[in-house]
Amino acid sequence: MSKSSSVIEITVISAENLTINRRHRVKGNTFIVVKSDPLNSQSTGTDPEGGSYPAWNEKLIMELPVHVRFITVEAHSGSKVIGTASIPVSDFAGGHLPENYLSFLSYRLRDGNGDKNGIVNLSVKVKGTGNSGCAASCSRPWMGVPADNKVSGGMVMGIPVPYM
Amino acid sequence: MGNCFSDVKGGQQAIGGSVRAGGGGHGGSAASGPNDAVDYFFRAKGEHALFMPIELSLSASKLRDRDITSKSDPMAVIFTKRRNGKLEEIGRTEVIMNSLDPSWIQKINVTYQFEIVQHLVFQVYDVDTKYHNLPVKMLNLEDQDFLGEASCVVSEIVTKRERSLTLNLHSRGRPGFKHLGTLTVRAEEPVASRNTVEITFRCSALENKDLLSKSDPFLRISRTVETGGSVPICKTEVVNNNLNPIWKPVQLTMQQFVSKENPLVIECFDFNDSGNHQLIGKLQKSVAELETLYQSKSGAKFISPSSGFRRHEKVLKSQIIVEVYVEKQLYSFLDYISSGFELNFMVAVDFTDRCFPAWGFGGRTPDCSVSHCFNLNGSPSEFEVEGVDGMMAAYTSALHNVALAGPTLFGQVINKAADIARGSVSCNYAKYYILLIITDGVVTDLQETMDSVVRASDLPLSILIVGVGNANFKEMEILDADNGRRLESSTGRIATRDIVQFVPMREVHGGEISVVRALLEELPSQFLSYVRSKDIKPLNMS
Repeated sequence: MSKSSSVIEITVISAENLTINRRHRVKGNTFIVVKSDPLNSQSTGTDPEGGSYPAWNEKLIMELPVHVRFITVEAHSGSKVIGTASIPVSDFAGGHLPENYLSFLSYRLRDGNGDKNGIVNLSVKVKGTGNSGCAASCSRPWMGVPADNKVSGGMVMGIPVPYM
Repeated sequence: MGNCFSDVKGGQQAIGGSVRAGGGGHGGSAASGPNDAVDYFFRAKGEHALFMPIELSLSASKLRDRDITSKSDPMAVIFTKRRNGKLEEIGRTEVIMNSLDPSWIQKINVTYQFEIVQHLVFQVYDVDTKYHNLPVKMLNLEDQDFLGEASCVVSEIVTKRERSLTLNLHSRGRPGFKHLGTLTVRAEEPVASRNTVEITFRCSALENKDLLSKSDPFLRISRTVETGGSVPICKTEVVNNNLNPIWKPVQLTMQQFVSKENPLVIECFDFNDSGNHQLIGKLQKSVAELETLYQSKSGAKFISPSSGFRRHEKVLKSQIIVEVYVEKQLYSFLDYISSGFELNFMVAVDFTDRCFPAWGFGGRTPDCSVSHCFNLNGSPSEFEVEGVDGMMAAYTSALHNVALAGPTLFGQVINKAADIARGSVSCNYAKYYILLIITDGVVTDLQETMDSVVRASDLPLSILIVGVGNANFKEMEILDADNGRRLESSTGRIATRDIVQFVPMREVHGGEISVVRALLEELPSQFLSYVRSKDIKPLNMS
């Protein structure tokens, strides 16, 4: 059983050192748009006061289609996009990270010219569906390595494998 | 006015009260790290920024009876043992009359420092009747009857679950077989240090002090002291060009404000690049009064103090409002480790230069491939060695099987440690990992290493790097982001927190501080920034 998408909870925390055209201070009314694919996007409210160091602490819930490898984060000031960052899905999902694990991540924003324009701070959690079997609930300290998907449809069992 | 801001950007950052939750280091101020003016102020007074004050209570049982007509009148004294073996007294209890099983009330304060070994020696004396009217500190120990001695290390006490340790008392100098009774030491953190209060301040109608634009206000909060002056405890970040600013939340610990009734001085300044900040207004409120302001949703007016132009104070229209007021319990490092959190060490040894023995990356294994991360014990699947002896045995055997090969690469070792740390997270197990890298070469794959460190920065892992030998380690210091610059990977990801501590051995060789101490100093705060950001509580706490 493979789902067509999972649900992720992104808390857009804050941004640092934003500028407009590298020189002017950002006046305000900045907001962040997160896109998981061209059809799925969500945005935060604006931060009127924060200027170059806005803070939103806003939680966005979105769908993450299973084929998506990157999600895009855009910083807007008024009607302009002043910076974007690309977040690989592997940074917060898959591999050994359990579901419902809260990852704190920060990324470099770059403007339209490719120049650096600050940093965006966020946290991401992949909402659990309860399907991952014993990896999330084992109390012994062994490392579960996900076995091949074709072994048993849907259930992932951790099997200790020689590590090198 | 006592300005000590060295650079504009640094000067604009919040100091002393930054909230450490939520990623530890987010939100504009890299100053949730330890380098700031207020921190130096406290250090100058002998208080280390991350010292953990604890109180020791003592009790004893089955003491020897030295008096003829009645029981002994015991008193206990605690000493620290200096490096040269000399004992230095740090405190004594009161005298309890007529008891061989005393429970002393007087507590003795000790500062627990994670990074050094603190030896304590306890001595129990029977105080002669003729001294019973003297204050305890005037008693001359040589005139009293010695009842027994015990010793231990502070960390032994605090890492026990009950934070209590029972020792056998023995005769001076050597642990004899005579049963002189037992001494129980219990450590407690003063309750005050766990209580914190998180306040979000907002101001309205601030006066304009700048000519061409609006004021750039920030707040400075100070605690009043008995001598009449005040000691700054924190300042907010600067909000530019705004007469109705709202600042990021400020977190004050009870250590900083001492009591909720203690009046705090809140001053609002207009930031100037020159360092000559102009006072917009000030007022005095205690934490309890700020709580009342919050609950009643009202503001308090600022006061402009008397100056040359005016002989009395003027009440301004500018107000301060408490937007958010939250009281929180902050678990300390000791809470976590005494509850059973494990700190796990992993060691990586440099094989690239024959000249520094005992210091396995950069080796060519029997199958002729160069490995930058091979198991020291030679096993293809098991990477663990047992204890220091196991390490030495593994190193010896590896020397026979592995040929030396450059260059010095860290990336793979760090990735391996990160995989282990990541694996433990999925099992909900209370473990924190520490990777110790000993190297005599400057890292050749700096970007790779930075990438690995950034990828590991959100995991329960700290990386301690010791540089031995004469190489120029300047580049390595970039990895240790103490100057506030967060590490950036080649894919555009920024480190969530600073997990690297780098110490060149040469630097500390001459000084008083040992390498181990310099390495371990940052560990408690790195550990706490991780557990607090993930809202992980000590084990068995509801």
